[in-house]
Amino acid sequence: MAAIEARRLLPGTKRGVPLAWRNLVANKRRLLRSSAGIAFAALLMMVELGFEQGFFDASLSAVQALDGDLFVLSAYKYRFGTRDPIAHAELDTVRGVAGVASAAPLYASWQDFFWTSPLDSKPYLVRVFGFDPDEPPVFSLSGIKDGQALLKTGDTVLVDSHARAFLGMDTDKKSTDLSGQPVQIVGTFSLGPDFMSDGTVAMSDRLFAKLLPGNRAPVAELPIETIVVKLRPDATLSTVQRALRKALPNTSSVMTKAQIVDLEEQFQAKLSSAGPIFWLGAMVGFVVGMLISYQVIYTDLSDQLPQYATLKAIGYKTSYLVRSVLVQAGLSGLAGYVPAWLLCIGAYRIVGAIALLPLHMTLRLTILTLGLTLGMCLLAAALAVRRVISADPAEIF
Amino acid sequence: MAYAFPVMAPAVRAESIDFHYGQNESRNQVLFDISLEIPPSQLVVMTGPSGSGKTTLLTLIGGLRTMQQGRLELLGQDVTRLSAAALVQVRREIGFIFQTHNLFESLTAVENVRMALQLGTWPPAEMEDRAHQILDQLGLGHRLGYKPRSLSGGQRQRVAIARALANYPQLVLADEPTAALDMHTTRNVVSRLKDMTVESSSAILMVTHDHRIIELADRLVHMVDGRIVSDVVLSDALRICEFLKGVDIFKALTPAELTNIAEKVTRRHFEAGETVIRQGDEGDELFLISEGEVEIDREGHEVARLGPAEFFGELSLISGEPRNATVVATAPLDTYVLGKEAFRTAVEQSNSFREQLRRVYFQRH
Repeated sequence: MAAIEARRLLPGTKRGVPLAWRNLVANKRRLLRSSAGIAFAALLMMVELGFEQGFFDASLSAVQALDGDLFVLSAYKYRFGTRDPIAHAELDTVRGVAGVASAAPLYASWQDFFWTSPLDSKPYLVRVFGFDPDEPPVFSLSGIKDGQALLKTGDTVLVDSHARAFLGMDTDKKSTDLSGQPVQIVGTFSLGPDFMSDGTVAMSDRLFAKLLPGNRAPVAELPIETIVVKLRPDATLSTVQRALRKALPNTSSVMTKAQIVDLEEQFQAKLSSAGPIFWLGAMVGFVVGMLISYQVIYTDLSDQLPQYATLKAIGYKTSYLVRSVLVQAGLSGLAGYVPAWLLCIGAYRIVGAIALLPLHMTLRLTILTLGLTLGMCLLAAALAVRRVISADPAEIF
Repeated sequence: MAYAFPVMAPAVRAESIDFHYGQNESRNQVLFDISLEIPPSQLVVMTGPSGSGKTTLLTLIGGLRTMQQGRLELLGQDVTRLSAAALVQVRREIGFIFQTHNLFESLTAVENVRMALQLGTWPPAEMEDRAHQILDQLGLGHRLGYKPRSLSGGQRQRVAIARALANYPQLVLADEPTAALDMHTTRNVVSRLKDMTVESSSAILMVTHDHRIIELADRLVHMVDGRIVSDVVLSDALRICEFLKGVDIFKALTPAELTNIAEKVTRRHFEAGETVIRQGDEGDELFLISEGEVEIDREGHEVARLGPAEFFGELSLISGEPRNATVVATAPLDTYVLGKEAFRTAVEQSNSFREQLRRVYFQRH
């Protein structure tokens, strides 16, 4: 008696009977119900994780807009968006290092400036960036590059046309008060809010020093938030970075843009409560989806228990049955995921426009949520399949 | 009339099987000292009241339970001590027909049959053809692409039977397979099963109380309270009765007397050229030719030739003298043999038989 090996067992292959697929589509109503449930859970996860991604991206939008090769900032900064300036004197040190083409100071404040909204005349906290309009631009935003020259004279500012609507930055009004002082609006740029600031104002270092509450230092001594360094074409980044570190006291750190992004990421993941909150939301979706998926699979398996037991009786290994159930669960996950993915793109558009958050279905989000959706279905199937594993073929006689 | 001789291993050889359910105090013995040997090509029907252990025995023979006591060989392989995993492999050699069809609602008739075929060694190209063929043989050629929902109860059961028979199993185990079938379909299914015992020498063990099947069975095993209480090879006795009716000396016997004798008869086969009896030997057997021809030689000379439905050897039995002739098979020879004791009993029990014998005796001498 030759040992008979069954090789054509994988569902979905051309030669074998695609049992998993057939079982999936056999009951249309049940498939629709399970797909809707799984899609709901997947959508919940996509929205939560999309928000997390959106908030993170928003908090980085100012960093991403910086126009430089290296950045000198306080070594004590745990994230970019907190005020922790370094001494003005470091600017000269940086300029003295070989390979540095230009070093421009960026002054910033998140908690000191109140913008009087032209809409309701109430003061609102805004983010303010100050820079030397005679230096090369520190931001790559076209509105700032083009408008920089207009900041050289008078109490003039550029405002964010993508700020939250209640700030009234995107109106025809050409003047308002900033920290109680009248300012002229001479242009706009497009940056957008993040979860700390509703809007941004850009101005000259001269006006920044004048308006910063409690400041007595002249521009030449004003503490700097970040020195934006551009390299000579012949200089190598790592060499200059090392040279800068050597030249500067260890209270300052020298970072590339990617390193600032890293810093921000670590803050989001470990220190901020935003990350965990969104992940908690995503987990709720995961659990809800798993329960729905489990219930559907369990019912399906219970209905067909004699059939599965019969397959065991006629010589199918339990592993084949388990595989078939898992494939079926994976397919049902996909059936829920695809519509959820499409719906989510629409949801991102609408919510993104309302909340002024950069919500995008990125490849990372696609892979992450697909993984979670499949994981949730497979986990549910793994729990439900115990019923098939314990089915006794001797009972069906 | 041809029949197979046991050149192949028995499909089932069960020796002294005991089986218990439960443990310790709640231990309940359901099978007692079951011994059963089923040769290839035999259709065995198992009957008995419910709770008599039929189904338990069927699941043990099907490798669906692990053995506790006794020994079990299936298709020449000792499966007594096999692990559950190894039994899976053994079960692929067996065709199972259950009371309920257990077809996947999601699969068509062909696909349900292919679920069994893909456990076999079929080249992919032939699987589809084989599925069509077996469904066609069971009268479902026009329902190949139908799902169970669109089939009648009887049709579903036939798909399940097709699934069981698709791989030409050498052993088929069935539990009330015809419960859902009407008379016409039952005949069709049973004749298909019967064909399998001839075409592929399959042995079939079936639990049923369906008289339409019992009539066609080769053997009837009756179980009561976990024991085999009777084990009758039906067809041999019936076949022999039929044969005896055509033999002169038995012509006047009543059916009861015929059956009585038939049960005492054994089969014996001789090759061409083989000597059946030798002149001068002690004679204690009567031979009835069912197939073939013999030559009777006395003192080296051929005195007669005998063919089917003729008999020889009665003289020594009646007179107690040694054989007065040598009998040689001139062609492959199948005989029914009635021993001395059985012969005597038959003679004593039946006046008509005695009369017939006396008549023949005086005719020949």
